[in-house]
Amino acid sequence: MRIKLTSVYVDDQDKALDFYTRVLGFVKSQEVPVGEFRWLTVKSPEGGDAEVTLEPNANPAARTFQEALFEQGVPLTAFEVDDVGAEHDRLRRHGVQFTMAPTEAGPTRLAVFSDTCGNLIQIYQPPSESSHG
Amino acid sequence: MMTSDQHERLCRARRRLCDTTQPGAPLKEIAREAGLSHYQFIRRFAAVFGETPHRYRQRHRLELARRMLLLGDRSVTEICMFVGFSSLGSFSSLFKSRYSEPPSSVRRRADTGGALEQSLPCCVTLMQDAWRSQAQFSRSAPDIELKQSPHQPESGKPR
Repeated sequence: MRIKLTSVYVDDQDKALDFYTRVLGFVKSQEVPVGEFRWLTVKSPEGGDAEVTLEPNANPAARTFQEALFEQGVPLTAFEVDDVGAEHDRLRRHGVQFTMAPTEAGPTRLAVFSDTCGNLIQIYQPPSESSHG
Repeated sequence: MMTSDQHERLCRARRRLCDTTQPGAPLKEIAREAGLSHYQFIRRFAAVFGETPHRYRQRHRLELARRMLLLGDRSVTEICMFVGFSSLGSFSSLFKSRYSEPPSSVRRRADTGGALEQSLPCCVTLMQDAWRSQAQFSRSAPDIELKQSPHQPESGKPR
């Protein structure tokens, strides 16, 4: 058993594809039309074979869950970056709105931003250089 | 940086935009409640939610209308008014441009039953249907293409 796929609910797949590729810098991996929606995934150009599926929140239960997390300020998921401060500055230049500026958290740093599709996303940097292996 | 107060105000504004008990609340009023000028409100809302408040509300109304049409217990006109459109004509044309079919044909589908359940996508059904359609495609392609599926690295072990 392997972990290769994770899912992010989005309120609009077009908006999501634009933000996750043009702003975050992921690349589109799968795009297969399924009825009015698409099986849509992105992956990191920096390696690793895990993909994120940008899944429509058309189910009202998914929507309720997504809105509640957002209102509570709880990130839906987290992505790893080398330097939280640099990534924060880069994303700010794209107009990304942060709810948490880069913050020390023990040996690591975190920040939280809005992905424009209804979610808060956390970025974090690994505790030390050695963990990059 | 968005303070927690600003975050809360924007969340409240979003709830107001989607509130069907007062569907026609003017954007200026919602902006004022959020403590922002009309212009600041549009700008800030779009930066956080990816769309202007007007477009966000319109999309929400159309999505809600579609779910209600698929439930099948109300007429197109009733649904149009319920979600907050005042003109059946503009509702129908916006609906058609988003879903490529008029509200009336969605409503007719509801009469066959189970239409709403079939229209709720999830990770499992999307993946299933996507792979099924890819399999159909690759069956008609030469053998070599089958071996080089994008998800099967050449050095990968057989599963």
